[in-house]
Amino acid sequence: MFKMTRRTTLRRMTSAMLAASLGLGFTAAAHANDTIKIGILSLTSHSPSIIAAGKGYFGEQGLDVEFVSFQAAQPMAVAIASNDIDFGMTAISGGLISLAEKGAIKIIGGALQETPEIDGQKILAAKAAYDAGLTSPDKLVGHSFGVTTQGSSFHYMAHKIADKAGFDRSEIRIVPMQKVPAVIAALKSGQIDAWSIVPNIAGALTKGPEVVEIGKVSDYIDNYQVTTVFTSTKNVTDHKDLVKRFLAGLAKGIDDYNAAYVDKTLGADDVAAISEMVHKYVYADQPMDKAAPRIAAGAMRINRNAKLNLASVEDQLKWFQSEKLVPGGVTMDDLVDTEFVETF
Amino acid sequence: MELILEKINHSYGDMPVLTDISLSVGSGEIVCVVGPSGCGKSTLLRIIGGLERPTSGEVLMSGEPPADSLNPLTYVFQDFALLPWRTVEGNVRLVLEDHRIGRERVGAVVDDVLARTKLTEFAAAYPRQLSGGMKQRVAIARALSVNPAVMLMDEPLSALDSQTRDLLMDDLIELWTQVRFSACYITHNLAEAVRLGHRIVVMSRRPGRIRDIVEIDIPLSERPGFPTETAAIQRRLWEMMRDEARAADRELSDVA
Amino acid sequence: MSLDRSLPSAAPATEKPGAAPTRPVPFRGSGFTHRPHRHVAPLVFAALLILWEIGSRTGFISNISLPAPTEAAEAMADLFRSGMIWKHLSASLFRLTVGWSLGTLLGIAVGLAIGLFSVARAGLSPLVSALFPIPKIALLPLFIVWFGIGEGSKVATILFGSFFPTVIATYGGVDNVDRSLIRMGQSFGLSWSSIVRKIIIPGALPAILSGFRISASIAIILLVAAEMIGAEYGIGAYILMAGALYAIDQLIAGVALLSLLGLAVAWLIGRAEKMLLGWRI
Repeated sequence: MFKMTRRTTLRRMTSAMLAASLGLGFTAAAHANDTIKIGILSLTSHSPSIIAAGKGYFGEQGLDVEFVSFQAAQPMAVAIASNDIDFGMTAISGGLISLAEKGAIKIIGGALQETPEIDGQKILAAKAAYDAGLTSPDKLVGHSFGVTTQGSSFHYMAHKIADKAGFDRSEIRIVPMQKVPAVIAALKSGQIDAWSIVPNIAGALTKGPEVVEIGKVSDYIDNYQVTTVFTSTKNVTDHKDLVKRFLAGLAKGIDDYNAAYVDKTLGADDVAAISEMVHKYVYADQPMDKAAPRIAAGAMRINRNAKLNLASVEDQLKWFQSEKLVPGGVTMDDLVDTEFVETF
Repeated sequence: MELILEKINHSYGDMPVLTDISLSVGSGEIVCVVGPSGCGKSTLLRIIGGLERPTSGEVLMSGEPPADSLNPLTYVFQDFALLPWRTVEGNVRLVLEDHRIGRERVGAVVDDVLARTKLTEFAAAYPRQLSGGMKQRVAIARALSVNPAVMLMDEPLSALDSQTRDLLMDDLIELWTQVRFSACYITHNLAEAVRLGHRIVVMSRRPGRIRDIVEIDIPLSERPGFPTETAAIQRRLWEMMRDEARAADRELSDVA
Repeated sequence: MSLDRSLPSAAPATEKPGAAPTRPVPFRGSGFTHRPHRHVAPLVFAALLILWEIGSRTGFISNISLPAPTEAAEAMADLFRSGMIWKHLSASLFRLTVGWSLGTLLGIAVGLAIGLFSVARAGLSPLVSALFPIPKIALLPLFIVWFGIGEGSKVATILFGSFFPTVIATYGGVDNVDRSLIRMGQSFGLSWSSIVRKIIIPGALPAILSGFRISASIAIILLVAAEMIGAEYGIGAYILMAGALYAIDQLIAGVALLSLLGLAVAWLIGRAEKMLLGWRI
């Protein structure tokens, strides 16, 4: 089913690109029968919508759900802009802001957030650099720091560390590696000195001898709103009801996710049932017994009711603008629509 | 120096090409070899110059080549074989550069042969700028520059139109009168053979063997004065060759 | 008479015998030949740009699918204003020059070896055929392990990309050198090295130079791939960053820079051909 979905989506995207290049507008036929398409990455943090679909929370809202898998956040944002999918959940990237500036997409809620009581993203150092004295993020001066691309969340974290530690941002050498596996390879082989990453990947890395944890991102960024929920501007303006129903279903999925993995208030059977659903899309290449602990490991809190930390979003927007990664004219109103969820 | 061919036999695989060729080219003598197409004339010439090994038989040199001969057996090719990226002068120079004879002598030799072939004013021209006749003059100048004992000329005038051919024949005779080079001259054109050859070797069609050798004792420079005699020799040669040529023409060619 | 009428061309002849009227033979040789039109290409280009601009301004072309040409031009102007263009250009040109030069030098050497020695041909030519079609981008992760994330892997990517087409062009060129010229060289007793230097290499040069056109284009294509990993500056890195930020005006500006680079390289090779192959008409 997963494969079929992807293939049809590919076809849809091709035709959509054709239409886009011809400059034709898009019709809202995508959800005429209230079918919505949700873009996901194969990460635990994308579980809430999977759970909501699996437990029928979206069905309660009269929504049929199709999941579309992506390899990276950027194409997901573009697919939402071209109305090929309806909802997505990723970190705030330069691409997302650019598309918001062009009036194509809007952030409608918050998802993953760093909170002091939950184990969050870690700052890692290569063993060689650690031995040479890089024992704390404050000593990143003059070191290289791996990122996927310029304007990615990794880039933001590196600069926030510099800001908080009190040295100039340019003292950290940002090394773009395009993809997470490439960053991991470079860190393990010591070709880059440092990186920051979600706890489950960090945990797997620090088990080996090549990588050492040197700090926590939450020490450097307050209440970091790591990922947000976003949709197309068209949905926000023309299909408010649909957006509300999606968020209502998602909220129940988030509650189950937090209960299962973060607060651990659910029984083992319930957790297993949820992991079963998630496993269809996350760590799907591994057998269930191996995948289940990985899904659960290092799960970070997702905001109840998709509450959105506006202060953190604004801080990120300001950072993008200060680094001239996005146009200076983008406002919070361009980026965020606050009518759907509680903000703080 | 004399060049002696002893019982040359040659075949490509099972196909005999040349049978029992014995021949000599004396010093200062021009021997023309005529024959129908495909009779192995060019193969014979390649064997004479050491570019190909005969199946049996030997090519011998008797006596020493002239002391200043850099390349005793020197070819003049039908397609000129000039390097298109070298000027006229550069093409002549090419064959002198490998010999350690000093820059001054190279310059002197080049100037000399270009003057003798009336090419001095074209020294800086590239082959593409020259007519066919001029190109062959360059090739002849190049051959003369190494002072050969025997020139091996493979249909040198066949790619040229008939007026140019006549002019070049006059030039060749003038050059021969000056230095008396010896030559083995392959052609299918009987008029050329009668005009240039001291002896004319008539070959049969494949497998090529010597059918007859015709000697002409009229000095080369005086031949234009004997039109009836030369015409008669040419007619005799043609009668010898006609049937061979007709048969050769009707053969299915399976070798190039 | 009736016969005459049915053959009108013959009719006047019977009226005025001996003085047939003349008329020109109709010209039938037109068409099917190409004449040079100097100004058509720029006009088509300009017309396309204007249509594109109008399309963008009116919203017919959505601002997500393509930026207006003026926006791309503005992004380009920004590069010049900030002076970043020189950082990007110098980084990319360094990688291109070093990678391409080494790649073509090695390629010519191996190509000559394959062209001249049957042992090298037997041993290397299948290897070249097997390795040529491998996309060098696929080997990038290995290059990073072998050559590091610094300049090494970037230069190596371009080096390998330009090496193979040069090898193939060179030995193809050697194979196509007129055999009669080589026989001429042998007949004059030229040494092996003279024949190679003075006959085979100049004879293969046209093919080698057209191989340069291909290898230089491949080098530019690979620039983006080479600068995927750990490149702070460079036109490829700039394009990748623009893609990641969905800054499509910068993306188009970067792509235009690559095009210009390609044009410049083609012009340089054209000059080299004029200089080295002046003998060819």
